[in-house]
Amino acid sequence: MKPHPTILLSALIVVLISSGCSRGGRDDAPVAHDNTAEVDAYYAAHPEFFVRKTPADLPAGLQWENGSHLPEIGSPQRIRGGTWNGRIQDFPRTLRIVGPDSNSAFRGYLLDDIAISFATLHPDIPGPHQFVPGLAESWAVDLPNRTVYVRIDPDARWSDGPAVTTDDIFFMFWFFQSAYIQAPWFNNYYGIGETYTQVIRYDEHTFAVTLKEARPDLASRVLLLSPVARHFYREVGDDFVTRYNWRFVPTTGAYVVTDDELRRTTTNRNHITLTRLTDWWANDKPYYRYRYNPAEIRLRVIRETTNAWEGFLAGDLDAFGMNLAEYNYDRLPDSHQLVQRGLIHKSTFYNDVPRPTYGLWMNTARPLLASRDIRLGIQHAANWQLVIDQYFRGDYVRMNTTADGYGDMTHPTLKARPFDIQLALEHFARAGFSRRGPDGILVNDRGERLSIGLTTGYESLGPILTILQQEARKAGLHFDVEILDASAAWKKVQEKNHDITFTAFNVGVELYPRYWETYHSVNAYEQPYLEDGRTPNPDRRPKVQTNNFQSIAIPELDALIDQYDRSDNLDEMRRMAHQMEEILHEDGSFSPGFLMPFYRTATWRWVGWPETFNARYSRDAQEIHVHWIDESKKAETLQARRDETRSFPAEVRTYDQWKPRE
Amino acid sequence: MALRLNPITRKKLRRFRSIQRGFWSFVVLTLLVVFALTAELFINNRALVVSHEGKLYFPTYGAMIPGETFGLDYGWETNYRDLRDHFREEGRGNWVFLPPVPFSPLENCYPGEFIHPRPPDFARANYLGTDTQNRDILARLVYGFRNALMFAFGFMIGVYGLGILLGCTMGYFGGIFDLLVQRLIEIWSNIPFLYIVIIVASIVRPSLGWLVAITVAFSWMGMTYYMRTGTYKEKARDYVAAAQVLGASDARVILHHILPNTAATLVTFVPFTVAGAITSLTALDFLGFGLPVPTPSWGELLKQGTQNLILAPWIVVSAFTAMTIVLTLVTFVGEAVREAFDPKKFTLYE
Repeated sequence: MKPHPTILLSALIVVLISSGCSRGGRDDAPVAHDNTAEVDAYYAAHPEFFVRKTPADLPAGLQWENGSHLPEIGSPQRIRGGTWNGRIQDFPRTLRIVGPDSNSAFRGYLLDDIAISFATLHPDIPGPHQFVPGLAESWAVDLPNRTVYVRIDPDARWSDGPAVTTDDIFFMFWFFQSAYIQAPWFNNYYGIGETYTQVIRYDEHTFAVTLKEARPDLASRVLLLSPVARHFYREVGDDFVTRYNWRFVPTTGAYVVTDDELRRTTTNRNHITLTRLTDWWANDKPYYRYRYNPAEIRLRVIRETTNAWEGFLAGDLDAFGMNLAEYNYDRLPDSHQLVQRGLIHKSTFYNDVPRPTYGLWMNTARPLLASRDIRLGIQHAANWQLVIDQYFRGDYVRMNTTADGYGDMTHPTLKARPFDIQLALEHFARAGFSRRGPDGILVNDRGERLSIGLTTGYESLGPILTILQQEARKAGLHFDVEILDASAAWKKVQEKNHDITFTAFNVGVELYPRYWETYHSVNAYEQPYLEDGRTPNPDRRPKVQTNNFQSIAIPELDALIDQYDRSDNLDEMRRMAHQMEEILHEDGSFSPGFLMPFYRTATWRWVGWPETFNARYSRDAQEIHVHWIDESKKAETLQARRDETRSFPAEVRTYDQWKPRE
Repeated sequence: MALRLNPITRKKLRRFRSIQRGFWSFVVLTLLVVFALTAELFINNRALVVSHEGKLYFPTYGAMIPGETFGLDYGWETNYRDLRDHFREEGRGNWVFLPPVPFSPLENCYPGEFIHPRPPDFARANYLGTDTQNRDILARLVYGFRNALMFAFGFMIGVYGLGILLGCTMGYFGGIFDLLVQRLIEIWSNIPFLYIVIIVASIVRPSLGWLVAITVAFSWMGMTYYMRTGTYKEKARDYVAAAQVLGASDARVILHHILPNTAATLVTFVPFTVAGAITSLTALDFLGFGLPVPTPSWGELLKQGTQNLILAPWIVVSAFTAMTIVLTLVTFVGEAVREAFDPKKFTLYE
């Protein structure tokens, strides 16, 4: 009976070891394979999608633009070179950018933040979205015909040499449509006729893509594409997932994982380093010449956040995110000697991006939550302000709608319902819960307790739920809190087995919010209505594996969403978005939580930033890659760290140029 | 299976009493258990006695008393600390008698203030400080101890029940049955316990009952070995043969004749089982597969403590000290029991 702790410990060790060595080596070289014929046959089999024309066929009168009037990104004061020391939680399980296990934090370094798309949103200008060139030299948008024309910059090169051509965009569609990559989302999004209806090749460097629907952000759906290197993927076949697991994908971006580095990491997985290409094609191009400055990005594998924190204080890591109050006020307050002596700089940057939707998502398909009175009662019983004041120390602000941070697309006046016990009790009483039981929780005439499940996968945000739970008791409501492992919680919610879930969708920088996925009835139930299209179907079953966590099915909302998703007029869409928010507010099944209007970061003195620190649309300090490393300051700073008599000017700065003015 | 106190047992108990360290550990441990079981009287946010308008209230056990009862303006449970201050201000002779530590293990002791660990503050009766959520550490330790005890109790019943049942039947019937169950046990022992816990924790929310069930399911095997050999040994004795000749049923032979004679060895395992159970629960909580939040638990406190070693050393110190004390006491008791029940009188311990 005694050996319990040892059993636990050895089981843990087994888990750790087995997760460390389950991997096919790169040495068992697979048989060569060439898919050229297969790919060409696929193009030929879908002549309506893959179209070849000549430059003479380009429509006349296209308005070519290249965004070159926009300001540069980054600072001319930047210094190139040096090593950026960062952290990842786990060693990447693959170097593929699609397929199983590829959607990890490391993909940001392979693709999302590094690879250059045809054009990118200028991240740091006021007003509407505008594009600056990337791989494209220029582009033209033909909204009525739903087509975007692109001229690829002849200088654009893959990291392994070849030029980027229109073959790579043709191939991108083959690749993402192929079943070999085992990525259903890609198969679906890039599928023929799904989002895109046609890709036309005019010559080596000119192509056009036609979309299914004319939307206000039509251009972004083509310009933000990243081509896929045709020459690299000749061996794609049934064994794609294993064959390409440990091959570095050629990139149009500045950083690569070298072959030497790949060899080294077969035996040592403590860190992985990305190296900057010295002859990167965009080295001197506007919008890129002041970015991607460090010569190396070295990512240490540090699983525990507390260990990473110690590493940062020791100077092993260059930066640390200070978003949590605990770090900003307790672990490294402004009065900390490292900050006072100017060794570590603290920066708070107000960004302007769509906000993650933290809040309580109430599943209206559940018996208790089907009652609007109970939902409104919960709205008034959820003390988000206390969470903000006590847990986030007043740094965060209350979220008000389901889509905050979209500029004027966000409803201008709607306010989330405040914590109000009296109102909550009134609503609960209207739903039949008017008497308090022996434990203070309301009961109805049938003796049913007002106890509602609250599921989350955010282990680190557990204290928030404890606060909500304790406060809700005052209103006679019991939250049955359930904190699950992240994937288990996600599964439960996807299967619509939850009462309420505390979760959030993270959103990229987009022109307008999306409603279909989360609020259309087709994502709530199988056959939501009877044949008249309005009356709720009494036998309807929740539809699983969709993001309509609230099981919302409102015919008026459906109609608006359908119209919204077909509209090409932003003004009309704005009106509809506001209208939809009002319907959702009325429905009361989403209790908006909190949002963080800024991000905070602490960096060692040798990390340089532009005067304005970062860009309007940045979601963290490193995303846009405008920082640099001044190696000359590093040695003296590390020396001064041990010598308490030495100090430099302290820098604790707030950049609020993008903070909304009251 | 009435375990009557026969002279030998009485002698063993006498010997146990004579082992000072073990005996006093047992006394202290018993006091701790009683304290944990009646913790509501000492550590609680409900008052022990309230005197309001000439009427006495005893809110500790039973239904909650809404604030309205005492002339406050809310219908939820009375905040007795505020009520005490309120009565003092009024000066109308009403009074509140609070427990020495007037906090529940679930509540924020610093309402209206930022949430971060606070060092011990005797003036506020936070004798061991607060954890990362402003909850009183002493309260969480004591109620966590109670949970650990309940877990250990359930665990013991499960493990001994299964172990004795299977072990005795294996030893008594022997042959093919013994062979088959032995192989089953070998296979079962090879299932990795932690994996199962991880899987179960991802499917259901592990309540105390679930945790007991899972740990018992993977811990009963050891007990069967002792019972099996013990039963084999006793079975060969003449008194068993005599009972069988007299026509006693198998159940009667096992329960009335064999079990009382093998039970003595079992007793010596009890303290170590308890220690094992407490460590298991703490380990599971530490790894995050234990009791659901916000249930007080030692593992959770240890986890918080290790994450805040520099920022809030009082968390880890409290949890670690409590655990060391309890486990040391249990081990002392265990050693004494083992010595007292040892058939060879002169051993290493003397």
